[in-house]
Amino acid sequence: MMDPNNTTGGSTEELVAEAKEALRIRRPGRVQRVGDHLRREWQLYVLLLPTIIWLLVFLYKPMYGLQIAFKDFSVFRGVAGSPWVGLEHFYTLFGNDQFLRALRNTIYISMLSLVFGFPMPILLALMFNEVLHQTFKKTAQTIVYLPHFISSVIIAGIVITAFSPSAGIVNTIMGWFGVDPVYFLTKAEWFRPIFVGTTIWQEAGFQSIVYLAAIAGISPTLYESAVVDGASRWQMVWKITVPSILPTIIIMLIIRIGNMLEVSFEMIILLYQPATYETADVVNTFIYRQGIQGGQYDLAAAAGLFNAVVAFVLVMSANTISKRYSRTSLW
Amino acid sequence: MTILRNREETMRTFTLASAFLATSALTAPAFADSHLQVVDKPMELTIHMHWPRAQGYDESYTVEKKACELTNICLKDATAGRNSTDSNEAMNLLIAQGNMPDIVGGHLIQQPVNQYGPEGAFLPLNDLVKEHAPHIQAFWDSHPGLMEAISSYDGNYYYIPYLPDGKYGRAWYVRQDWLDKLGLEQPQNVEELHAVLTAFRNDDPNGNGLKDEIPYFSRQWEEVNRLLTLWDARSSGSDTYHDFYVNDEGKVVHPYAQPAYRGALANVAQWYKEGLIDPEIFTRGSSSRDYLLSENLGGVTHDWFASTSGYNDALKDKIEGFNLIPFLPPESAGGVRMEEHRRIPIKPDGWAISYMNEHPVETIKYFDFWFTDEGRLLSNFGVEGETWDMVDGQPIYKPEVLNSDSPVNSQMYLVGAQIQRGFWQDYRYEDQWTSEAAREGIALYDANDLLIDQFLGVAFDQDEQKVYDKFWPSLRTYMLERQQAWILGSGDVKADWDSYIQTLDKMGYQQVIEVMNAAYQRQYN
Repeated sequence: MMDPNNTTGGSTEELVAEAKEALRIRRPGRVQRVGDHLRREWQLYVLLLPTIIWLLVFLYKPMYGLQIAFKDFSVFRGVAGSPWVGLEHFYTLFGNDQFLRALRNTIYISMLSLVFGFPMPILLALMFNEVLHQTFKKTAQTIVYLPHFISSVIIAGIVITAFSPSAGIVNTIMGWFGVDPVYFLTKAEWFRPIFVGTTIWQEAGFQSIVYLAAIAGISPTLYESAVVDGASRWQMVWKITVPSILPTIIIMLIIRIGNMLEVSFEMIILLYQPATYETADVVNTFIYRQGIQGGQYDLAAAAGLFNAVVAFVLVMSANTISKRYSRTSLW
Repeated sequence: MTILRNREETMRTFTLASAFLATSALTAPAFADSHLQVVDKPMELTIHMHWPRAQGYDESYTVEKKACELTNICLKDATAGRNSTDSNEAMNLLIAQGNMPDIVGGHLIQQPVNQYGPEGAFLPLNDLVKEHAPHIQAFWDSHPGLMEAISSYDGNYYYIPYLPDGKYGRAWYVRQDWLDKLGLEQPQNVEELHAVLTAFRNDDPNGNGLKDEIPYFSRQWEEVNRLLTLWDARSSGSDTYHDFYVNDEGKVVHPYAQPAYRGALANVAQWYKEGLIDPEIFTRGSSSRDYLLSENLGGVTHDWFASTSGYNDALKDKIEGFNLIPFLPPESAGGVRMEEHRRIPIKPDGWAISYMNEHPVETIKYFDFWFTDEGRLLSNFGVEGETWDMVDGQPIYKPEVLNSDSPVNSQMYLVGAQIQRGFWQDYRYEDQWTSEAAREGIALYDANDLLIDQFLGVAFDQDEQKVYDKFWPSLRTYMLERQQAWILGSGDVKADWDSYIQTLDKMGYQQVIEVMNAAYQRQYN
């Protein structure tokens, strides 16, 4: 298009042609465009509506209450009526050695879970995919899925019994080799391995479903041509299966990192003892104990807010790194 | 009209009408049972009642119907948080939603009413009771110290508590048949207890040829601390574990920061090391009493009279000669026989009047009804003629109640008796269905002066509460951490003591004790 300051210099014909052109390509107004769009695609928006409402009611509206992290909150006075106290709750948290210890433990346990727990469902999925015997495959899958459906209370009961010094299977087996019984659940140094192992046992099977679904989506032609080329099964796994499900793995990893601070604290509460707080106490259990004394919701909200901010930073960084190096990302 | 004149300024907001109603109730013509009538015309009050057995107040309780008939006040259920079993949560929900029923009652209401009462959510009851509730006032007058114990930091009290009756809770129990088998006497002091536990450990009293006996066990790991009293230390000042207590100088202190604790815990650790204490006491959990007794493994425990005495009947066919009986607390190293645990005289349960109640005078008169003779019998035993009869001046349960398959207390809950309203429990209710063995045990304990005064807690003002909230949860965590570690043998309490005390001080122990004592002085004078 011509420079607007220059239009006076054009001939009449040019001006007329330009005006006609402008009229022809003039796009409808924004409101009209949105209206047209909605008329055309309204079914899609109706489908979206429940989710939007759910998000607003259950995730956005409660954010209003986040301000109690900066207030001296009283249930009776309400969120709006409670006085502001600034960062006091954050000072309280970070001035407390036990909170810092809980923070360290949270990060440590999360890292352990990530390093040992994340690859496990992938390995399981790859192995299930290679099993040819259908009955064996179904049975094995059922067995590894099962713990996911058992309540954490029961799982903890099983773990406590299994590691019991008198009746537990672990100590019994150790006894065969002449090892003295160990009261595992009161030993701080044993808590993390037991906890991480338990959560892997509980969840790895179920989490492998996502990867199995991704593997099922790989085009069989890839394998067929690989067979023609004389590839071994091992090569097919590494050159076809793994690269094909890599986007899924990355997405799962990002989600996992975002949830990293959300250590499944109900399991910890069921398994820990004052004697193992040293290694077992995480941010959520710390808040549970602090908050339970007289219902310190404001302090708990402050810790929760801190948790959320850290999770946000983690998920953003994971996403950015992944986008840069693998071109796969959540958004 | 003297009622109005004596009232404080704030009380004047209660309508004149209610005062008129109250006066007219007093002058109403006398007819049968009218002495219990609170109002002339039937009146309805709404109630929040959230408690462990039921998340609500059942308007069809026969006790409620009877009370309604006698007082002319009927309660309508308006309980919040029915879908939760957590009474604290229900209470917070109720307060947060703003629209409060006339009466707020149920489980664990003391902390919330004392916190939100001074903020205006509940009515102070001091003057209301003084003027309109002679029976409640008479209870306070005859039980000095209890009214102070439930007061909030502003000096007012905001709820009428559930007041348990009966003194004894836990007792020491031993397998008498094991003692007999090994030719031992009941232990009379701490050395003898040590000898008995050692014999249980080594001499195979269950006769199965295995060294599998667990000499001292408990279904709550915290009961391991009860052994501390055998060396003149303390484990708690109330029926809550790890609580503060009032020492001989009248000062509130924590048992785990006292010099006596050092030596006593070293001894407990030694006993643990010798295998006299259940090695799995920390993880065995609440079913351990069932398991260890029915498997013929447990020797000595410290547990409730009523429930522990039941095992002799339950296991008589399974284990030949099974005889678990209470014995006197062994004399401590310092020569004291002491049963540290006793029933708390006031519960944090009961009922309060919310600020939205337009009939506070009628409500407090209704509360008072439950402290009259008729009301007390009704709240304890149910409706006369239905569940009990008066025999020689004593309320006696009907045989079908006592011989039913379901326990008497469960039957009472169903008719609306023994529920967590503000009422004064009558021990005659429990005595009738206590087993003979437990009754003998209680008589044994009663014949000796074993009980000690309890610490009934303090109400903090807001500044004190802040100090307490800031330091106490972490202190408690640290104390329990060290305690378990020492018992389990990682670390030595005697060697670690000085640094332990230093750490406690660094973590704010002195500040907590300071606010504790300030509140204690204010409250109990």
